[in-house]
Amino acid sequence: MSDLLLVSTRKGLFALHRKGAGWTIGEPHFLGDSVTLALVDRRDGAWYAALNLGHFGVKLRRSDDAGATWKEIAAPAYGPTDMIETGDGKPAQAATLKLLWSLETGGPSEPGRLWAGTAPGGLFCSDDRGDSWQLVRALWERPERSRWFGGGYDWPGIHSICVDSRDPRSVRIAVSSAGVWTTHDGGDSWSNTSHGMYAEYMPPEGRFDPDVQDPHRMVQCAGAPDAFWIQHHNGVFRSVDGARNWTDVVDVPPSKFGFAVAVHPREPDTAWLVPAIKDERRVPVDGRLVVTRTRDGGRSFDVLRNGLPQQHAYDLVYRHGLDIDTSGNCLVFGSTTGGLWLSDDQGDSWQTLSTSLPPIYAVRFG
Amino acid sequence: MPRVVLAPALARWIVAAGDAIGERVLAVNAADVAGALAEVFAQFPQLRGYVVDEHGAVRHHVTLFVDGSAMRDKTALDQPLRAELYVMQALSGG
Repeated sequence: MSDLLLVSTRKGLFALHRKGAGWTIGEPHFLGDSVTLALVDRRDGAWYAALNLGHFGVKLRRSDDAGATWKEIAAPAYGPTDMIETGDGKPAQAATLKLLWSLETGGPSEPGRLWAGTAPGGLFCSDDRGDSWQLVRALWERPERSRWFGGGYDWPGIHSICVDSRDPRSVRIAVSSAGVWTTHDGGDSWSNTSHGMYAEYMPPEGRFDPDVQDPHRMVQCAGAPDAFWIQHHNGVFRSVDGARNWTDVVDVPPSKFGFAVAVHPREPDTAWLVPAIKDERRVPVDGRLVVTRTRDGGRSFDVLRNGLPQQHAYDLVYRHGLDIDTSGNCLVFGSTTGGLWLSDDQGDSWQTLSTSLPPIYAVRFG
Repeated sequence: MPRVVLAPALARWIVAAGDAIGERVLAVNAADVAGALAEVFAQFPQLRGYVVDEHGAVRHHVTLFVDGSAMRDKTALDQPLRAELYVMQALSGG
């Protein structure tokens, strides 16, 4: 099981280490600064942290000594003629980096390759560990992009990047709000693969439009990479054919709304969600924080609450706030109110690691 | 020679490890705002991305005071500079 956990918060990055039956919370990195995500590159051990400095922009840091020292590396940047247009009537404007919303490594055969998803909707690729970045033009220049729009932000954003374990040239990304896009040639060509998703927030005639879908988070089963799960704005969807077609997963208790989803690394039918009351409220149902698990591809669910607060809980778990380790047994999630819970038994029971961290944006096992 | 004052919130990014964070004052040989910023960025290349975005526009939440007055148009970087350019974080940025 993993013994390293990186927790990205509104006020810094916290590294946690397993110690006996518990975990120790280390001194914060970047105390006071907003860390929107972090990544451990399992190929070379590097740590990455994305900072949103508010006044001074979005920055990226890399550490080659497990956080002892950090180096500022290049952040993705848009070109002088890149414009952001949206499909919801906002005026066009020059594209500038607003948010680094996803960061993933390339395959084991691609040392140094990183993928970065951003708001306002650009996907970037680096082949030198983030020292330089290239905008993936083939996706950026798709004509459909002018119809994308923001979900939660003014601009569309790429929050999920799934690199296929069979062939790292196959990459699927999920966009709020533009559905799922797939490449099989390393990013040279892209197609929207959102068939089956629907959008309750659209007028009836536009509900199945692939370019307006708002997946909140997409994950891929590493050991069975044709299997994907999505927590969508208005439900849960599953694909078993490589993200080409999506099936609505109905009757998710206690609510089909949420942001986060995790899938077991080898069992494609086993997934976890952290539901909340749907979008007007975005808090746990009845003030009880629960995790929902399926082991049969979404036909039935267990509502897991052992060790989680069951009254006066208003914790929301953001889309990167849930993670599972490579063993498939250890899960962790962090909340907007600074709660952090971990399970070593696939969610049957949870231990509280903290209830007083800063608001948590992302959790990630090392 | 005019001087450029970097507010502590900005100067913290160029402070040497272990040194106290505070205002940083630099003398520049420039006649306008653009020239002064160019000298700052030449001396501290890592600051460029903190003050301006990837298109060279002064960031939304960065405020410039030129000789005591806030710049009304942050795109008019050819504004003459006599004595002092103050670069600071706008309170609007939180």
